[in-house]
Amino acid sequence: MKGNELTPHVEELKRVLGKKVSEEDIRAELDNFVNRFGVDVENAKKAIVRKLGDEGVSFITADAVKKKIGDLTGNEQSVDITAKVVFGESKDVTVRGQPKTIFSGILGDDTGTASFTVWEGEGVELETGAVYEFRNAYTRLWNERVQINVGNRGTIEASKERIETVPYSGGEPVDAKIGDLREGMGSVNVTGKVIDVERREITVRGEPRVVFSGKMADDTGNVQFSAWEDFGLVEGRTYTVSNAYVRAWRGIPQLNMGDRASVEEADADFGDAVGGPTESTISEIIAVGGGIDVSVTGVVVDVRQGSGLIQRCPECNRAILNGECVSHGTVEPVLDLRLKLVLDDGTGAMNVHVGRELTEKLTGVTLDAAVGLAKARGDPEAASRGMAGKVIIKQMKATGNVLSDEFGPMMIAREAEFLEIDIDAEAKKLLSEMEATI
Amino acid sequence: MILRETAWRVFAGELNNSTLEERGAEEKSPNYVISPLGAPINRVLIAGVLLEKENRGTDDDPLWSGRIQDASGNFFINVGRYQPAASVAMADLETPSYVAVVGKVRTYARDDGRVMVTVRPERIEEIDEETRRLWMLSTARATWERLLDMKKAIGGASIEDLVEGGMDRDGAEAIHYALEYYGNPDSTRYLNMIQNSLRALLPDEQIDLGLPEKIYGGEDEIVIDGPDERGSSEEEKEIIMRLIGELEGGGKDGADRESLEREAAKHGIAPVRVEELSNELMDEGQVYEPSLGYLKRV
Repeated sequence: MKGNELTPHVEELKRVLGKKVSEEDIRAELDNFVNRFGVDVENAKKAIVRKLGDEGVSFITADAVKKKIGDLTGNEQSVDITAKVVFGESKDVTVRGQPKTIFSGILGDDTGTASFTVWEGEGVELETGAVYEFRNAYTRLWNERVQINVGNRGTIEASKERIETVPYSGGEPVDAKIGDLREGMGSVNVTGKVIDVERREITVRGEPRVVFSGKMADDTGNVQFSAWEDFGLVEGRTYTVSNAYVRAWRGIPQLNMGDRASVEEADADFGDAVGGPTESTISEIIAVGGGIDVSVTGVVVDVRQGSGLIQRCPECNRAILNGECVSHGTVEPVLDLRLKLVLDDGTGAMNVHVGRELTEKLTGVTLDAAVGLAKARGDPEAASRGMAGKVIIKQMKATGNVLSDEFGPMMIAREAEFLEIDIDAEAKKLLSEMEATI
Repeated sequence: MILRETAWRVFAGELNNSTLEERGAEEKSPNYVISPLGAPINRVLIAGVLLEKENRGTDDDPLWSGRIQDASGNFFINVGRYQPAASVAMADLETPSYVAVVGKVRTYARDDGRVMVTVRPERIEEIDEETRRLWMLSTARATWERLLDMKKAIGGASIEDLVEGGMDRDGAEAIHYALEYYGNPDSTRYLNMIQNSLRALLPDEQIDLGLPEKIYGGEDEIVIDGPDERGSSEEEKEIIMRLIGELEGGGKDGADRESLEREAAKHGIAPVRVEELSNELMDEGQVYEPSLGYLKRV
């Protein structure tokens, strides 16, 4: 590699190493690593930072590159981004059992928008509309969209740069069907029917605010929305919402109408049928991250631990073992029934949580009967095993909201039933499809 | 986010023909076998008749093996101590009975270098006739859809094209791996599996898909290679009968399948074909299986 090819890398190293090391030394080192020992530039830079840098200079800073949002691949280990905050808020979340404050939202520049999360979000306040420099951020792909993360190595500084051409404000918003809404979409136009809407008074960062929230639907699905202004939305009417943005809560996309959004009544007619459960495959749900009121048909391929007759803490309602609650010590447990199923439709697998009433319906075993059986056998597991046997390998249709967590998608079942499938009719259908093709 | 691997609905004839493995790069990343129709399989949902079961371990530490037959061949299963639910169930299952299995695929290379596929059940459950029919139907449909996806790839659809068409990336990549490794699939074989299932599901219909014939004119046809296997089947059966005779010697166990397959390979008969032929011979009452993995002439 010739001297002038090394120059940008020398410049980068200079920025990382500061004034302590002379440019000549840096150049000599880099030349030695690259041209004498044949080390690739990226690894050479890391090694030089470790060799010449102060303690505390993380070598990861060495390959920080500056990128536009539109150029992010989702694999960046360390990247600098200058971007405008389209939207941001701090949230209290639980990460691996620990309560934590994060700051998350959407960033934009003149090439695109992406969701972002500042993981050490305590005390972080980023102003919507302001431009910041995000250094040493890393990126991930989530549902084929790039997410920008600022971890404990990252820094954020206010920038003097002006970004005017972010697609959400100056550029073209995207027309989208409700079923295609994805987390991180910075500006969408959506037409849908308001299934329900409710005015709520909430507190955002200590300030009282009014939000109109509810459910919208078109022929592709349902979505929860929050309107941060009173657009006069009326149940049963159909609207075109322009310049809205999409955020996700535990994987469920939510349509937000902020102060840039506009709402107009639309001519579209989706009929009375919309707003009901959306039939979906599990791979479709995984692609979106979650959804409200979806129906999935599959085979129960597993009944997980903690199904059947369980104990709950009378204080916090958490499932407990042997009358011991992690928060409340020895308690007099409340008995309950539930099923934690794995439903698999051949496109993917998903956890499904089934509460007591549905469990009783599916298994034909009531809570009283299960308690009786457990006592009679002297074995609380006896009832649970029997109940698992009633559902395993059965064809089931389950309906409810689907969230995503670190174990993938999880449905809280609102309705669940075994399916009677007309095998003859389905077999004939397959046969005629084949005859038409072959 | 850790996604649970989906359970592929796959016939024995497709699973057992899978010799392409993709091992995860990291210690804990999952392994897959990629089927000739391009399914990247880590877990399966299979069903059929439990023909045999055998405890090769002890009463206290059982190691169950078993053979499950579907319309296209046999699944081989092994259940050990790390599959407690399946192990308990194995002890109670009777042969023959209809069972369904959810399990992980395992492969091992034999002395001759051939990859063998077995299934390690996480769950094995007795099922009713109706559930078995439903499995046959969904597996027939899944196999058909894999054939159609394969046809797109043979017709020139790239990985990107397939992803555009709604397939997930892993699936699209696996189809191309499969094509590269196995070449174009013997579509007649898979269409026959589907046809057999449909005949079993609809006994009153006269189902004749007119196999083997090329499905489709035009450029994007699936090339059907090889002559009609049935023509030479009598000849092959004779070879198998002779080999069994040679291998069973004087012992009461009979000829072990592994040796039989090795010997048959010298006559140009593929192991999968040996399985088909031995099944036919068993159906005809010419041979039987005195114990799992051994064949003996009647």
